[in-house]
Amino acid sequence: MKIRIDEHIIETEEHKTILEVARDNDIFIPSLCDFQGLEPFTGCRLCIVEVSGKKGFPPACGTYVEEGMEVKTKTARLQRMRRQILELILSEHPNACLICREKENCDEFKSTIRKVGEVTGCVLCSNNGRCDLQDIVEALKLDTIHFPSVYRNFEVKKADPFFDRNYNLCILCGRCVRVCQEIRGAAAISFIFRGTKAIVGTMWDRPLIDAGCQFCGACADACPTGALSERAVKYDAAPDARKETICGLCSMGCTLEVDSTQGKLLSSQPAEQGPVNHGQACVRGRFMIRDVFSSPRRILSPMMRKGKGLEEVEWDEALTYVAQRLKEFKGKEIGMLISPHLSCEDNYLLLKFAREALKSRKVFGAFDDSVYSAYQRMVGRQNLLTHLNYRIEDIGQADVIFLLGEELPNTHPLIWLEVLKTVKNGAKLIIASPFDSPMNRYAVLSLIHKPGAEASLLNFIAKDIHENTDSEKLSRIKGFDAFQSFLNRLDPSQIPELTGLAEEVLRKAARIFAEGERRAFLFGSRLTLAAEPEQNLISLWNLALERKAQLFPLGGESNLRGTLEIRKDQPGGFLSLSKLVQALSSGELKALYIVGPVPPVGKKKPEFLVVQDSHTSETAERADVVLPAATFLETEGVFVNTEGRVQKFNKVVNPRGKSKPDWWIISKIGRKMQHRDFTYKNPSAIWRDISRSVAGFSRISRASLNKREVFLQEEKRGEKRFLSPKVKPAVEQTSKKYPYLLCCEPNLDYYRNMIFSKENRGFRKIRDARWVMVSLEDAETLRLKGGEEVVLESTNGRCQRIVKISRAVPEGTLRARYIPGDDADDTLARLYTSQTEEPRLWRPMPVRIKRGQ
Amino acid sequence: MEEVYITRLERTKAEILASRKQAMTVVTVCGGTGCHAYGCLKVAQAFEEEIKRQNLHRQVSVRTTGCHGFCERGPIVVIQPDGIFYQRVQIPDIQEIVTETIKNKKILDRLLYVDPKTKKSVVLEKEVPFYKTQERIVFGNNGFIDPKDIRDYIALDGYKALAKVLFEMTAEEVIDEIKASNLRGRGGAGFPTGKKWEICRDSKSDVKYIICNADEGDPGAYMDRSLLEGNPHSVIEGMIIGAYAIGASEGYIYVRMEYPLAVNNITLALEQAREYGLLGQSILGSEFHFDIHVFRGAGAFVSGEETSMMASIEGKRAFPKQRPPFPAQKGLWGNPTNINNVETWANVPYIINRGAEWYSGIGTPTSKGTKIFSLVGKINNTGLVEVPMGITMRKIVYDIGGGIKNNKKFKAVQTGGPSGGCLPAQLLDLPIDYESLTRAGSMMGSGGMIVMDEENCMVDVARYFLNFTQEESCGKCVPCRVGTRQLVEILTRITQGKGEEEDIKKLQNLSKTIKSTSLCGLGQTAPNPVLTTLRYFRDEYEAHIKEKACPALVCKELIVYHIEPEKCVGCLLCLKSCPVEAISGERKKVHVIDQDLCIKCGACFDICPPKVRAVSKYTGKKKERVLKKASDPRVNR
Repeated sequence: MKIRIDEHIIETEEHKTILEVARDNDIFIPSLCDFQGLEPFTGCRLCIVEVSGKKGFPPACGTYVEEGMEVKTKTARLQRMRRQILELILSEHPNACLICREKENCDEFKSTIRKVGEVTGCVLCSNNGRCDLQDIVEALKLDTIHFPSVYRNFEVKKADPFFDRNYNLCILCGRCVRVCQEIRGAAAISFIFRGTKAIVGTMWDRPLIDAGCQFCGACADACPTGALSERAVKYDAAPDARKETICGLCSMGCTLEVDSTQGKLLSSQPAEQGPVNHGQACVRGRFMIRDVFSSPRRILSPMMRKGKGLEEVEWDEALTYVAQRLKEFKGKEIGMLISPHLSCEDNYLLLKFAREALKSRKVFGAFDDSVYSAYQRMVGRQNLLTHLNYRIEDIGQADVIFLLGEELPNTHPLIWLEVLKTVKNGAKLIIASPFDSPMNRYAVLSLIHKPGAEASLLNFIAKDIHENTDSEKLSRIKGFDAFQSFLNRLDPSQIPELTGLAEEVLRKAARIFAEGERRAFLFGSRLTLAAEPEQNLISLWNLALERKAQLFPLGGESNLRGTLEIRKDQPGGFLSLSKLVQALSSGELKALYIVGPVPPVGKKKPEFLVVQDSHTSETAERADVVLPAATFLETEGVFVNTEGRVQKFNKVVNPRGKSKPDWWIISKIGRKMQHRDFTYKNPSAIWRDISRSVAGFSRISRASLNKREVFLQEEKRGEKRFLSPKVKPAVEQTSKKYPYLLCCEPNLDYYRNMIFSKENRGFRKIRDARWVMVSLEDAETLRLKGGEEVVLESTNGRCQRIVKISRAVPEGTLRARYIPGDDADDTLARLYTSQTEEPRLWRPMPVRIKRGQ
Repeated sequence: MEEVYITRLERTKAEILASRKQAMTVVTVCGGTGCHAYGCLKVAQAFEEEIKRQNLHRQVSVRTTGCHGFCERGPIVVIQPDGIFYQRVQIPDIQEIVTETIKNKKILDRLLYVDPKTKKSVVLEKEVPFYKTQERIVFGNNGFIDPKDIRDYIALDGYKALAKVLFEMTAEEVIDEIKASNLRGRGGAGFPTGKKWEICRDSKSDVKYIICNADEGDPGAYMDRSLLEGNPHSVIEGMIIGAYAIGASEGYIYVRMEYPLAVNNITLALEQAREYGLLGQSILGSEFHFDIHVFRGAGAFVSGEETSMMASIEGKRAFPKQRPPFPAQKGLWGNPTNINNVETWANVPYIINRGAEWYSGIGTPTSKGTKIFSLVGKINNTGLVEVPMGITMRKIVYDIGGGIKNNKKFKAVQTGGPSGGCLPAQLLDLPIDYESLTRAGSMMGSGGMIVMDEENCMVDVARYFLNFTQEESCGKCVPCRVGTRQLVEILTRITQGKGEEEDIKKLQNLSKTIKSTSLCGLGQTAPNPVLTTLRYFRDEYEAHIKEKACPALVCKELIVYHIEPEKCVGCLLCLKSCPVEAISGERKKVHVIDQDLCIKCGACFDICPPKVRAVSKYTGKKKERVLKKASDPRVNR
């Protein structure tokens, strides 16, 4: 389609607004309320244009192009009206600096004074220089305001974590409100009041935290003025550098833009062109990046145990000592624990170090319970043909989404946004979970089932579908007969007993699922934190095969997939954390090299303990040598996200203190142990090895990353066939002594040994890691109050928690989130750590609950 | 099947009529909102008791009806079938009415309306000048119907049009009929109703909605309210016919929560309609299914704008949306939706019953039919009037309205509510239709008519209306939210005597920008009161700005109260009424106002006996003179 804008004749397509077309062609039309990804708002009226044949002055942002349209964007009349509208906007916004005659001199010679309570001009505003309003005043060359100023005199709202809200600077463009509703689905804020009193706010003007805000920061990023400003950097100098990198705090792999000044990290914002996040982030990527770098608990110098305490030493001394001590042990006496937060290069080198320098096969990983590990294990063992790679956009193709075992808005925010978008476009969402959650309001059907009943639930759905559909095609698939006879053996009258759901409800779920044409299965950690994880996955696999659904495993840490890939073809794989606990308590392990977080390993310390970490921990305090590692912000490397997307993250600031990248430390120790292979100068040298030896990365050049989309290489092998599940999968049973079943879910709010809620008060306010959720009924019987401290006791141990009473949990069930690396005394892991048997971490655990400490 | 249902409707009608034969005399008591305030419910109850006491209840029945329109004279009682019109009826009158008028057929002169012009009493309702010039079609049945009883409506051929449409006409024929009638939207903009229906009908969608806009928010306007309260079934019937023509399956009546009686009556009417098979599945046995929900608005003026009304029904904040897409293409929940005003819907059954030809015979070439206006302000006969399009303003104000109160001089009439404009005396002979009003700078609006006399300051009036739109702006678009605020600022400044020469230009300039750039009708029409008063009463603005004078003696900052020494009789009345003790004086001695203390409340002016009239208001130079004298120590002490 051809249209004309001013003197340009433009070839364009339908469903685009005049403003979009103008932007695509570098034609400037001023606009304040329009924002990437949002529906047209047409509120600021700055983008008015003249369209031949149309009455009045339609806004470019809300007018769609039509064949042969002739648009004028810069007539004198338009400019005059735009200026007057801008004057009106500025009559409500501090404007002295914007129209000041000394503006240029001021910019040049005066430094910004930011530490003021009240913003009355640009030089006092934290957004100075990054303000859309300033840009538009500049573009429209406005130099006088003919209207008296109206200062609205709102109190600055500071009750919430992370950012302040100063609505005296608000121009009511509604971007924050719309981004919160349309993109984030949170709808925590809204317009309130009307007329001249109209403003943005929450219900009853409560703090954001009470309004269901997730603190993703999208509103602050969308704000064109300084009305919403990040508190931590509000008073900092303006950034002198902005670098792009990949967020290392979870498996989404969002692209972030990180600001710094003089080597000090300031803040991070989601990058608009991020292939995964498209300008969105979550509370971790938006507000925790700064803390990861500048945490007071960062280890800044190598330390060695001298006498009773740890003393700071030079690198060389520490490295020599480590090399010398490690040589004293036999390979099977040495263990290594690695972290899925490290880059592919770091982990590759650590494994190589264990293999070649330590001659050890005992590499432990705190992720044996993750969905990816379990799923990969099953696929490998059963020799199944499947893809582990996917694109988050693929979810958008689905018309039925079945979500199991994850609370997406917290754990996988970007995937949740895709789900939300898909649901808004008409897809049906089914959620199966033992717990209710705010996200369930988007589901057409919530299956609140008995804890651990996932396998039965899926089996019965498969049975219903089997009964109501023609299975001729399926009968050609291997294993169908066994599967069919398995389904026939299932007795629907047992549904209530096994799943806690009514038969009709499951049948309804089956109908919705079967009626879809493109089905998506999203499954997360709760499936694999069961008594028999594989049973859940088998049932899932069968159902997905029966009704052709794409499987979307939900990843955990930032480089879990990369880490698993590196070790995939090597003998032994990763040993589970439970095995580590056992090996330590039995005294089998004498030396331990830890780079990742570790749950409490009992009072017994191995003979020699090295902790190489970015943040200090209780384990580090007991170590013989502590080596300061750089975070992902201070080095470079490659992460593989949950989709299998291979992305390079960049160094945005220099390492703090004396900390060094992990690969550097390992290389040095390797050299000190006289291994010639450890001569790597930089991560790219290591990558060359990886791309040669690791199948998934073969022939992937590091230079190509971030320039185009690169995914892990998957080999096509195995077959599609039905698996045979058990009729009655094992379920954890409570007893008289331990009458409550504690369900644990992973908490991804950590990086290596830094636990966000422990370090950051704001974060603690929104997502405290220490709670245990108790049902209303149980709280009443136990006479517990919200916020009260309680002790949970299992057969193995005890831990402390804070009560959170919720309707979302059923009677008799407790819910908590564990942090894989939390080694503190109150960690949930203590409930699992047994001296006698191999503990199976994080499975549903029968406990009792007591008031007090 | 079809026959059965139609005959059932007819049989119902016949039964109702038969059952009423015995009670030949009906005492109708107006139950409109105005009469409610005068205590009509107690009057009606007293009638019932009295009739029972006199053992007349077999021959006489009492009916509380819809609004009769002549609100100035409530409570109104009309004794049918003769049509004897009693006004301002109080409970003590009732016994006499029953004994004398009903039993002995004697007219009670003191309760009759006296024509102020001829000084003659009028006996019959239709002879009252207020009604004589009117052409009551939509309102016609209001005075006969008990809105709480569907049988009253059916007895007067109610739902006959619906039966005709369902069994004798195709949807296209209905639309053609409405198009031929030239009915235009009564909500204000005057879009041809038939065309609107046609566009919605032509939109492809399985689900379509219709909405009845009863979010009447103009200050002083209450015709929609009276229709919903007084004759809800005519609106419902119109809606069902519209839904049939458009192919809608669901309808909404968006009525403001501040109209409890309207909400009550319409809800009750919907229940009764469902009972009679007029709503729901298979209406009257046809294959047409349709139902109506009542949605109560929370009293935001902007909700009357169609796109924000739909947002409100969807449960969102009442924000208007940019058009296109128009509601007929993408409306409620994204489906084609047709919105019409209460009065528009109520017109539909009459057009179907009596034909487009009859309807288009009323009115002017471009504006057909009648229009209901709510006539308020400084007028003798406050009330609701229904007149044919094309009637002059003079007829409304003087013939129907009975002229200006207290024989003051007519100054202006504001039509179209806050979005309309003030029309001056020189336009009194303007025939009222959509086009002429727009040409004059005002608009039809929903039909509010506020009459102003010489004691109204036009700058102050403009400020009043702008203050209203400023407060009711939804806040979404800048020109409306901030623009109206700045207009109010400038107008306030002028009324305070702080106006500057360029203020008039500023007002015009800003008004133009607001009109051309605002998102919805609210902003696009908000400056009309300013622009029309500037057009017709520019001299008043100039007096305020240049001479710091308010010719109408309204703007407090620009006037002064003064006791004329030669007239004052020293009665102490004003002295005692002054709330700030600004008046000094003794009995039989001239009183003096201390100008420093005076807050210009006007209490002294109001209380000074008409025979004396010693308190005057001054502005401009005279005011300066008074103030100068007051500060002169020789006079003061």
